[in-house]
Amino acid sequence: MGEGYLPRSHLPSGGGTVRSVVPITAEFQSESALHPAARAALSAIFERGWADPSKIHPESRRTAILLEEAKQTFSTHLGVRSDEIHFLSDVGIGFHLGIAGLVHHSETRFIHSAVDRQEIFAQSHHLALSGHKTEVLPVSSHGQIEVIELDPNSVLAWQLGNGETGIVQKQSPPPSRLFVDATASGTQIPLPDKWQSALWDSRSWFGPSGLAILAISHSSSWRNPLPHLDPRKVSDSFSIPLVLASAIALEHWAKAREENSHRLKAMKNQIIDFVSRNISDVDFASERDEGLAHLLSFSFLYVDAERLTTDLSARGFSVDSGSACTSLNLQPSHVLAAMGKLTHGNIRLYLRTEVTDEALNAFLFALQEVVETQRR
Amino acid sequence: MMEVDARGMRCPIPIIELAKVIRTLNINEEILLLSDDPATSPDVQAWARMTGNVVVEDGQYRFRIRKLSN
Repeated sequence: MGEGYLPRSHLPSGGGTVRSVVPITAEFQSESALHPAARAALSAIFERGWADPSKIHPESRRTAILLEEAKQTFSTHLGVRSDEIHFLSDVGIGFHLGIAGLVHHSETRFIHSAVDRQEIFAQSHHLALSGHKTEVLPVSSHGQIEVIELDPNSVLAWQLGNGETGIVQKQSPPPSRLFVDATASGTQIPLPDKWQSALWDSRSWFGPSGLAILAISHSSSWRNPLPHLDPRKVSDSFSIPLVLASAIALEHWAKAREENSHRLKAMKNQIIDFVSRNISDVDFASERDEGLAHLLSFSFLYVDAERLTTDLSARGFSVDSGSACTSLNLQPSHVLAAMGKLTHGNIRLYLRTEVTDEALNAFLFALQEVVETQRR
Repeated sequence: MMEVDARGMRCPIPIIELAKVIRTLNINEEILLLSDDPATSPDVQAWARMTGNVVVEDGQYRFRIRKLSN
């Protein structure tokens, strides 16, 4: 890449390279293994939880009891009534059910933020095609939604925590008919008041993938937007064993939550401190002591993210990236672009408590080395 | 005006080329960057903020940048 044209990189080269006999590796990607407790329970659950809970055979009744217990677990940890909970086998359809179910009239406006998930942009596009007015709220450079006063009959999609940057909204959503996206924040951020529908992803507490939890408030005027016989019903299309495994994962996760979040916050701060001290020209999308504890994102000026992730992977560290160079569609991360952050040279880290201090240090030195090598 | 034609190049090359050429300019001189990469528009703004320069014209594929910092 030529030499010497990087305006503000005057770093000492080769600083602090760790070479150890046993290779150290660490996972920082979003995909994660099922919680060990849920994994251990799954096979037993598949043996016991196969019957149709709506029938009256003993097996069916046992399944119905297990399912009811699982609902209680979700109810306790998600802060909703158990009769407000619906299970879905697909997170994507949850966005449609949760949002479109609140849009009743052709005059209803749909509003969401510039940092929402693609599924919400798709929903907005879909509603606009059928004649609804839609609006995208911009965000500040800190990822905070620029809230405006809304017609309280508007439907607002509100993200509690961002799945790319870990940024958490500090303000409450304005009065509106509220759909809450809790898919990235899980149980880390409580539901705001006066929500009408809310969506979680089982993976956010290390539960199995392929399971979403949709809550519909009992006081909401939600109506099923899919073909239906009963407008208040969501058709059951989920795997009972996955629901039970997810409830087990959630219980274990919640029990260890305080201890884990302490450790994750310390890791996050350590990474931010190391990177800001040792590597120049870095644009941080996540801040110290803020946001979801397990997530952070930052971008290196003049660095190719594809090469960065490949070089890190060759050293045993797997990371994600929001840069266009690493995706197939050439589009940079809309979240970083909306915040005015640098979209190239981006890496995204999902922190886990299993990563040891030794592995974290080795990762940080490897990161410094691969960035310096590219900029040389 | 000095021109950097980065059409057909993918991120982060347009920004690297811009940074390379702008080094040869004097303060307050301007440079034109042509790029059809969708990441250039957000990135040229972020680059200007990080390096203390200014984008005086952002035409999505055509950018005029004024050097304000060495």
